[in-house]
Amino acid sequence: MKKYLLKRILFSIFALFSVVGIVMVLVYSLIDRSLIFANDPTIAKKANNELEIYKIQKYEKYGYLKYYNYDTYIASKYQAKYGDEYTTNAEYVAASKAISNEQTYLSNPDVQEFIKTYEADRFTIQLLPQKKKSNGAFLSKAYLIATKDINPITRLFKYFGEMFKFETIHDVEDPNLTDRYVRWEWDKRSNMPALVGSGTTHKYLIYFDNKFPFVHQNILKINLGKSYVTYRDVDLTEVFAQATGEALFEQQEYPNDLGTGVTHETSYDFHTVTYNSAELSPIEISMFPDRYTLPTQQHSGLSRMANSFSIGIISTILVYLFGLPLGVLMALRKDKLADKLGNFYIIFIIAVPSLAYIFMFASIGMNIFGLPYKFATAEVKFMAYILPTISLALPAIGGLMKWMRRYMIDQMNSDYVKFARSQGLSEGEIFSKHVSPNAFIYLVHGIPADILGALTGAIITERVYGVPGVGALLTDAITKSDNSLIVAMTLFYTTLTIISLIAGDLLLAKYDPRISFTQGGN
Amino acid sequence: MAEAIVKQAFDLEKVSSQSENDLFYFVESDSVSSEKITALRYSYWKSVFRIFFKKKINWFLLGLFAFILLMSIFFPLIFPYDEMENVINTDSYFLSPAVAMSKYGVSLKWLLGTGPVGNSIFYGVWASAATSIALSFVCATINMALGIVIGAVWGYNKTLDSILNVVYNIIADVPYILIVSVMVYIIGSGFFPFVIALTITGWLGIAYFFRTQVLIIRDREYNLASRCLGTPILTVVKHNILPFLTSVIMTILATELPGYISYEVFLSYIGIGLSAETPSLGQMIERAQTGFISYPWAFWAPVTVASAITVILYVLGQNLADASDPRTHM
Repeated sequence: MKKYLLKRILFSIFALFSVVGIVMVLVYSLIDRSLIFANDPTIAKKANNELEIYKIQKYEKYGYLKYYNYDTYIASKYQAKYGDEYTTNAEYVAASKAISNEQTYLSNPDVQEFIKTYEADRFTIQLLPQKKKSNGAFLSKAYLIATKDINPITRLFKYFGEMFKFETIHDVEDPNLTDRYVRWEWDKRSNMPALVGSGTTHKYLIYFDNKFPFVHQNILKINLGKSYVTYRDVDLTEVFAQATGEALFEQQEYPNDLGTGVTHETSYDFHTVTYNSAELSPIEISMFPDRYTLPTQQHSGLSRMANSFSIGIISTILVYLFGLPLGVLMALRKDKLADKLGNFYIIFIIAVPSLAYIFMFASIGMNIFGLPYKFATAEVKFMAYILPTISLALPAIGGLMKWMRRYMIDQMNSDYVKFARSQGLSEGEIFSKHVSPNAFIYLVHGIPADILGALTGAIITERVYGVPGVGALLTDAITKSDNSLIVAMTLFYTTLTIISLIAGDLLLAKYDPRISFTQGGN
Repeated sequence: MAEAIVKQAFDLEKVSSQSENDLFYFVESDSVSSEKITALRYSYWKSVFRIFFKKKINWFLLGLFAFILLMSIFFPLIFPYDEMENVINTDSYFLSPAVAMSKYGVSLKWLLGTGPVGNSIFYGVWASAATSIALSFVCATINMALGIVIGAVWGYNKTLDSILNVVYNIIADVPYILIVSVMVYIIGSGFFPFVIALTITGWLGIAYFFRTQVLIIRDREYNLASRCLGTPILTVVKHNILPFLTSVIMTILATELPGYISYEVFLSYIGIGLSAETPSLGQMIERAQTGFISYPWAFWAPVTVASAITVILYVLGQNLADASDPRTHM
């Protein structure tokens, strides 16, 4: 069993790696990279050489290429040589001015050195010559740059290599910080213990509060890259997990006032403070006892994942609550009215495009029950969850009814049931002790997939109702060509599918003792 | 009683007095008539269609589908659809049938009102239905053909089995909808990119299903007997296994055909559908969805046609699958 599980997990990791690899190679080699500048407000403000440099810097940031600038190259070289006063040094000034002249720059020894160093590493050297207007007015300075495209395979390994980041007490590069530790402390804000670090990026590594999911950690950070169109420069894990909606202001004590009862209206979540290496402002000094002064804001809504999950999990519960009994009812009343009605509904759900019936549910819910349609405009937030949940549950109920009916009928016609009946067992006993458990075997496998599937969100439903959830993220990413988000979504969806398949198999083996993973089939 | 026996004995005596030649004659062996089976003539496909057409609903649905098909093929040829013809007149946008007819005169064109750019919904629906039906039949043909052929080989070939199992286990881990959307995103929109996106891994699931079916019946006694008699594997597959799976093929087809139409609608809705020049039901729905409360005709007309096509194809396919199961032929 353990051996099987290990083999299975190893293969799953391999599968995950291949899938993400294929998507990454395809996306980063076939999609036009200039799409990252769509919706970029900075691009309109830049011109000439500065525009080129800005673009190259962005490409570097999003992992398309490696880039070195001659200016920074000589700056670090002469700083090492002459110390901090290198800027006034004549040698440095001569070196930095050399590239302004297009004809003679190649004869400068520093330029030659720069070109030689990076050409050896197969970089492409490019001179962006000084630009002047026709009347001689200065437009933009000259740049000498070395660039090299990163191939998608290297990128893939880098992506997985940098995926998990653990916080250590050596994270903060501040020589003045001598007291580095990690220890459990009593957190006066929540009146619970908290794991507090000094020298780590976050102050609170493990803490409890009254927000979902109540226990929070900052030790392990999963790094999926940054979004660049949908949410400019925001970490993708934050896109998934950070609360949506407007900033939420609450009466809170500042960290310096903890225990005194003095409260202020603020939208900061003080548990999320990170280390500030810059000089502290007087306000920060008055608010915080230490250099951990950078909290994030709290928002009124749930996070994308919590939104998707709450809709998904409630609809899953509804599906089992209604789908199972209705499927059983259809099987018991086979070829009667209930069965025919149920079949009609099942055909409707399977055959009609899902978009059509989601809009149908939406218009019925709106016109007859007066439920809010779009998530953002709903006055009572709770009401906005009703229509998406029902729209998600109704088709799934049809699917479950179909299978439950099929399995029940198969079981009821099997020989052991006929034998049980001939032995004189009551119909109720046959149903509860023999038919139901056996019919249920087929459904057990899908339960983990249903629960984890709730996390991935529903693509159409969330888009129709404008729910800020994970499912809407994929469509957003695709329509806005947000490549890193697409790769991250592929990773997320695939990981959840793999986990739910393995969990389904394990649950099945637990439920049905006949199934074992230790014996090989033939 | 005794009398009868005596009489019989007397008759026998009389018979035995005749010569042997009068009593017996030789029967020539007739190779032609020995091949004849005295049971009723049975033709598989005739029986399939006999059962299929016994149901009145199938006649009705088939007629309806023929009507939609003919309309979608010939209607746009006679009345060409131009989506942008009224794009300049902003006052022609989203007109209800009554308003459109009073404005432009009573004609077939304004039977269902106008859409988001003043386009005729009635003309648009037929031009779009052709695309959707073509897409679903092309994709279903490719996926089914690849799936059945590869699945049959997969079930027999051990080397291929180990390779394809790995491939299948990887691909099955990724939601199909994710593959399709990412593929469309990568290779671009348009009819053929769409077909590629829907078929690049679409055949794999069908092939895997087939492989399992082939494995189940491959080692049944009658197939073992065939193999012992030296029948080539190809013949066994063609004559013993595939006919056995006809109704299974029909069942898959019944879900595949409407499925592709749903995918087109879905992808168009999320904004990565067919290119703008190709009219499709999904695009009509996508463009009208903003006004689905205020201008219901523009939204529900393409939705109704799409749903009608998918439901008809699904029910017809299911009934054909039922009819193609020989156990229903009695």
